[in-house]
Amino acid sequence: MSARSINVDTLQLIDALQVRYIDALDGKKMPDWLATFSPDGQYVCKTAESEEAGWPMALIMDDNHGRLVDRVKFVEKVWAGTFQDYQTRHFVQRIEVSPADGEVYRVRSNFSIAFTRSDTGRTDVLAAGVYHDLVEVKGDQALFRCKKVLIDAPLLPHYIVYPL
Amino acid sequence: MQDTPFWPPVVWPAKATEVPKDIFVREDVYREELRRIFRGPEWFPVAHVSEIPNVDDFKTAVVGDVPLLVTRDPAGQVHVLYNSCSHRGTQVETRPYGNKRLFQCPYHRWSFSAKGDLVGCPLQPGDAVNFEREKFPMRKPRTGIVHGLVFVTLSDEAPTLEVFLDGYEDKLANVMGGDGRLKLLGYHKSLLNANWKTYHDNDAWHAPLLHTAFRLLNWQGGKGRQFANARGHRGFESPLTVPDGRTLLSDPSLIEYREGAAKSLEAGSCSLHLFPLFAAVKHLNTIGLRFVNPRSVDETELIFAYFGREDDDDAMTRHRIRQSSNLLGPCGMVSMEDAAMFQRLHIGSRTPGMQVFQKGVKDEYAMPVQFSQNDESPNILSWEYYREVMGFEKASRA
Repeated sequence: MSARSINVDTLQLIDALQVRYIDALDGKKMPDWLATFSPDGQYVCKTAESEEAGWPMALIMDDNHGRLVDRVKFVEKVWAGTFQDYQTRHFVQRIEVSPADGEVYRVRSNFSIAFTRSDTGRTDVLAAGVYHDLVEVKGDQALFRCKKVLIDAPLLPHYIVYPL
Repeated sequence: MQDTPFWPPVVWPAKATEVPKDIFVREDVYREELRRIFRGPEWFPVAHVSEIPNVDDFKTAVVGDVPLLVTRDPAGQVHVLYNSCSHRGTQVETRPYGNKRLFQCPYHRWSFSAKGDLVGCPLQPGDAVNFEREKFPMRKPRTGIVHGLVFVTLSDEAPTLEVFLDGYEDKLANVMGGDGRLKLLGYHKSLLNANWKTYHDNDAWHAPLLHTAFRLLNWQGGKGRQFANARGHRGFESPLTVPDGRTLLSDPSLIEYREGAAKSLEAGSCSLHLFPLFAAVKHLNTIGLRFVNPRSVDETELIFAYFGREDDDDAMTRHRIRQSSNLLGPCGMVSMEDAAMFQRLHIGSRTPGMQVFQKGVKDEYAMPVQFSQNDESPNILSWEYYREVMGFEKASRA
């Protein structure tokens, strides 16, 4: 089913969620990132190579709310002061939306993430790939029930501090 | 007199505790390392057999700048081939992994079996003088397998694999969960913006001061031991310690230890470094083999492969997958900052002077023989082996 057959208000809520998500990350506001997930939400980040090969491990597997909460602690508390910080800019393009189950929609979007390192001042591409999302729309709010990030490159060009 | 084309000459300090910083950033040193070490008489792990568990599975690998192809033939035997056609030298396989019966070079359609035998080509009798297929297999480096770990050497001068390992076979088994009977779970692959020796010198085991996670968890251990030998290999073993993760984590399963079917084989943490840069780490329920290779003087490819054991049940496999995904690697709770620190070490190597080893040093001019858990001194033996291999003259003691 194409996006054309999805209610416009629903599409706007889904797009607004995606904007909240990338604004939280580019602003390094980890609690706001956490707030884009439903209470049973999951976040999984892996390479497209790994997905295609069927290897079950991920780069990041936050498959319950506790792990999402812990991700915030890693960035704000555990890793603080140990890494060379960088600024990200996320660019996201919705490609496909289809109903999944009840109030849940399957959303596929392309993404690219530029990053500028504070030490070198250079801007490069950190990752490009596809978001495969399950989005729960209730009333006037949308939340991620699952966000799966598939990175095109099999090798990360840099360590990952902030979720992608 | 050094017989290598270094200019200015590399003069190694007289003190065993000092390493010249410029060896990490000099192009001439790196070029010579490719010749003396990576094409030299060392052995390199390139795969574990469990990465290619099925007939016709393959993976590609690189040692230094030399492309290799690791295959499993229809009889189940594992082979390592130079990834180059025996005709005009074209790279035969480009994919990192896969499953196929024949490897065909696209240039002139020569086809090879998993053993490297030339089994098909468009040449007809009379097309070439004295052409016989059996004279044109893909070439093979010397290969050996220990506890499922596949080693190669690119040099005819290398000692036997047994001599190279210098008694470390048991330690290798230990770090691979007891006996090397593994099941692949996946990979963390990343690029490190640092020289390969920075990785070799610092990864797998270093003082935990860098890692805030250990402090926040009050996870210091203290009863472990390090070991090292004159062949440049070193490692660390300690009894298992498991902190109370509830003090920090909402989901403490990340640092939970579960006893598996082979608990007597698995208990404890350990890491192993084989010269020049293979590392393996067993920590809690993670089993990781780190296939590392230089790409240039200031870039290193890190392929961390993670495993379960063949006899794990579904619950144990699930636990290992979840722990391996989030604990270690370029996004791991206790290791993300490793890469950040290695990159800063590399940048700092462009300043004059020496890196200096302090902790655990009893005599600045002698090779150390005993080590405590957090000592830096085991690395000194590895550096002395590197110095000898590279032919760097040692300065006279003042």
